[in-house]
Amino acid sequence: MTSTFHGLETARRALATQQAALHTTGHNIANANTPGYTRQRVNFTQTEAFPSPSFNKPGIPGQIGTGVKAGEIQRVREAFLDTQLRTESNKHGYWEGRHTALHKMEDIMNEPTENGLANTMDRFWQSLQDLAVHPEDSGARSVVRERGIALAETFNHTYESLEAIQRDYQNQIGVQTNKVNSLLTQINNINKQIAGVEPHGYLANDLYDQRDLLVDELSQYINIKVEQVGSGGLSKEVADGRYTIKLLNDEGKETGFTLVDGRSLESNEIHFTYAGEDGSGPVNGIFIAPAKIMDDIDHVNELHGDSRAIFLESMEDFNSPGKLWATIEAYGYNDKSGNEKGLYPDMMKELDLMAATFAAEFNAVHSTGWSMSEIEEGTKSGYNFFAFAEVTGQPSINPDTGNIAGAAKRLMLHSDMEDLNNIAASGAARNGVEREEAFSGDGSNALALAGVKDATLNFGSTRTNIQTYYQGVIGEMAVKTNEAERMTKNTAVLKDSVEERRQSVSGVSLDEEMSNLIQFQHAYNAAARNITTVDEMLDRIINGMGVVGR
Amino acid sequence: MRVTQSMLTHSSLRHLSQSYQNLHTLQNQLSTGKKISRASQDPVVAMNGMRYRTQATEVSQFKRNLSEVYNWMDNADAVMDKTGSTLHRVRELAVQASNDTYEETQRKNMAQEIRQLREHLESLANTKVNNKFIFNGTNTKDAPLSADKINMGIEVLAEDPASHVITYNSEVYELDAEHEGEGLVFRKADSNETITITDLGGENQELIFNNGSGQTNELLERQIVVSEKGAVSTNNEKVEIELMKGVNVPVNVNPGKVFSADFFGDIIQLEKALEDPATTSEELIGLIASFDRQIEKVVNERAELGARYNRVEMIDDRIQEQEVIAKRILSENEDVDIEKVITELLAAENVHRAALASTSRIMQPTLMDFLR
Repeated sequence: MTSTFHGLETARRALATQQAALHTTGHNIANANTPGYTRQRVNFTQTEAFPSPSFNKPGIPGQIGTGVKAGEIQRVREAFLDTQLRTESNKHGYWEGRHTALHKMEDIMNEPTENGLANTMDRFWQSLQDLAVHPEDSGARSVVRERGIALAETFNHTYESLEAIQRDYQNQIGVQTNKVNSLLTQINNINKQIAGVEPHGYLANDLYDQRDLLVDELSQYINIKVEQVGSGGLSKEVADGRYTIKLLNDEGKETGFTLVDGRSLESNEIHFTYAGEDGSGPVNGIFIAPAKIMDDIDHVNELHGDSRAIFLESMEDFNSPGKLWATIEAYGYNDKSGNEKGLYPDMMKELDLMAATFAAEFNAVHSTGWSMSEIEEGTKSGYNFFAFAEVTGQPSINPDTGNIAGAAKRLMLHSDMEDLNNIAASGAARNGVEREEAFSGDGSNALALAGVKDATLNFGSTRTNIQTYYQGVIGEMAVKTNEAERMTKNTAVLKDSVEERRQSVSGVSLDEEMSNLIQFQHAYNAAARNITTVDEMLDRIINGMGVVGR
Repeated sequence: MRVTQSMLTHSSLRHLSQSYQNLHTLQNQLSTGKKISRASQDPVVAMNGMRYRTQATEVSQFKRNLSEVYNWMDNADAVMDKTGSTLHRVRELAVQASNDTYEETQRKNMAQEIRQLREHLESLANTKVNNKFIFNGTNTKDAPLSADKINMGIEVLAEDPASHVITYNSEVYELDAEHEGEGLVFRKADSNETITITDLGGENQELIFNNGSGQTNELLERQIVVSEKGAVSTNNEKVEIELMKGVNVPVNVNPGKVFSADFFGDIIQLEKALEDPATTSEELIGLIASFDRQIEKVVNERAELGARYNRVEMIDDRIQEQEVIAKRILSENEDVDIEKVITELLAAENVHRAALASTSRIMQPTLMDFLR
């Protein structure tokens, strides 16, 4: 025999449970637009039936239901999609970062237009042709000088613009490192909070959401792997536990570095070091150090020799793709053998090589020719046309000894060229033999100088003319940019589609919530009606029974 | 698949942004007229674009050079034309004078006319175009001819024979250092013909011409013309202008082959002969041959110039063609097909409108709108 008030209790449980479901629906609706929010669901469970099978069970037929309770409030989420999204988001982060860098570079190089380096070279060549036609004309000479200055300045400007962006990228590395470190710390903090909640048998759904959002964000910057560690105690089976975050390399394999440790509830920070003593120069190493020791030190360099910190000497050991790596790659880093690599340094080196090689050849041809002033004096001084600015504290640029770093930035006209009559338009060397005398009407050297544009020169390992070489440089950049753009789009599509699938599982649908709302409301109403019925029944028993003949 | 409002919002937004991007690209193409505005949009087009631009610049530069080439050649040709006709007039006068019927004064008048013609030729030799002397090889700043250094008089040889030359019958004789002590021996270059002057300025002054094989005859002082060595420039270098990649065309005539020292020497020799009443008609007939030689040289040089002019015209034709080709290739490579872009733009606009319309239809109603 069940209790008299059994019906009331069953209905009360229903009321409470439906109410909980309504509250959760409200929570879902409220967070419909919250980034990272996962819709929640109340898991309804039937309460234990009566009687429970035991020796002294009452002799009543069957088991009778005792109603419902809210088992747990669970996030509707598919962990596999998280992993997938993070992988795609990581790739997207890398390609997007790379594309932005190359896009900016493309803006600076500004080819093919009427204002790029190629056009400046063409115009310089034209002025030399004009000089060859009018070698005695000082007007033609001054055009050559001005176009020469324009060429040098185009080199300077292009190089300096690249440098400016490169400096920007160094800041970016700092900003992104801070961001990553902050994310790691935040994840660790949430880990700690979750560790405090879960052992009591609760599900910290909103903390899970926050943490997943942070992990999603982190995955843009570096390639990571998330492992779950149980909190112990009375943790629910469906509890997410604490996260251990490990660093992956570009092949998606573990590098052996743990950034957030879910077991010890500790996190690490990463810090980059630069080759230059003043913090300039390429990235040449990285520290992975516990966050807690970072407060004790003023500067990252103090970590050298600290046993608690791990120092990776080569950036190739930290080969985790993502936005951060794209930024480092754009800015420049030292590879294992100590050579500087990177998108911007590479382009700057190309410009240096071009400027130095071209200037050296141009000077060589120029100095064999005869200028107006040399013709007048009758002796040859061998003037140079181009020179490289001297910068205090930096070695002179000398293409012969191979020191050409910064050549494009320091290219300028030689001081000899202040006198227009020192431009050597006449008396080109014939078959390598310099001439003994020359006349002003002879434009042969100007012609030879114009020919430098088409002369086969030695650019490192390539032998070609400067135009073709430059075209190659631009072509390579264009292809890289094109690839980066395509990959950015592709990875965005993949990322979006995974994101969509995740939304499809975890996103809040208002229509759905509204139908649920109605469903739960009706259930609530029905339960209430049930109470009324039981109430009427009890009323009959209590007030309507045993009053016969009254 | 379960679809939520926010998924709809997201994908609508993404599609709209995609069609905006599409419109942006087409809009860029329309307003610039170029297929690409950055190298990465099509690296091949970009690289070719750079090369074609350079090519187009080169062709237009060569075209510019061409006008200077014509400038040189047209002017040289015109001067040579005048030179030819002037020489013909000189020759005519020589022929006329060789007729023995003319009196002394008449011959002198002819000499006068010839002198005027000579001065005209001198000014032709010093023709300046665009502030350049065009008959002085590469030395365009200095006049090729110093008229006052021609016909110095034999006395100057006493002082400094080495820096002077003698012209006689279209030939130039220079001091021969080997014959020291035998008087002043002047020798024609690359031959054994000599003119020996003994007792210069003295009573027994003698000018002996030796034809190289021992045959000698005495010359009169007026038959030779003494000039300073630098009176006529010997700069015979070519002035070259590039007209196609690696094709350098010489634009000047070789001045040594036209306005040489013997060229003016021959005329002066004639003038002097006409001024001397003792000159025989045979001697004058002999001088006519000199003018035939000079006229031939001018004609030859002019013919050579004409031939070169033809070649330049051929190059000109080719450059014109190349210019058209270069510009066409440049255009084909990077210019858009406007009709195509406009059509694409219209299609893209339709898509965009459809996207907007469907978004507005989908986004509005929710279940809320239908629940009372």
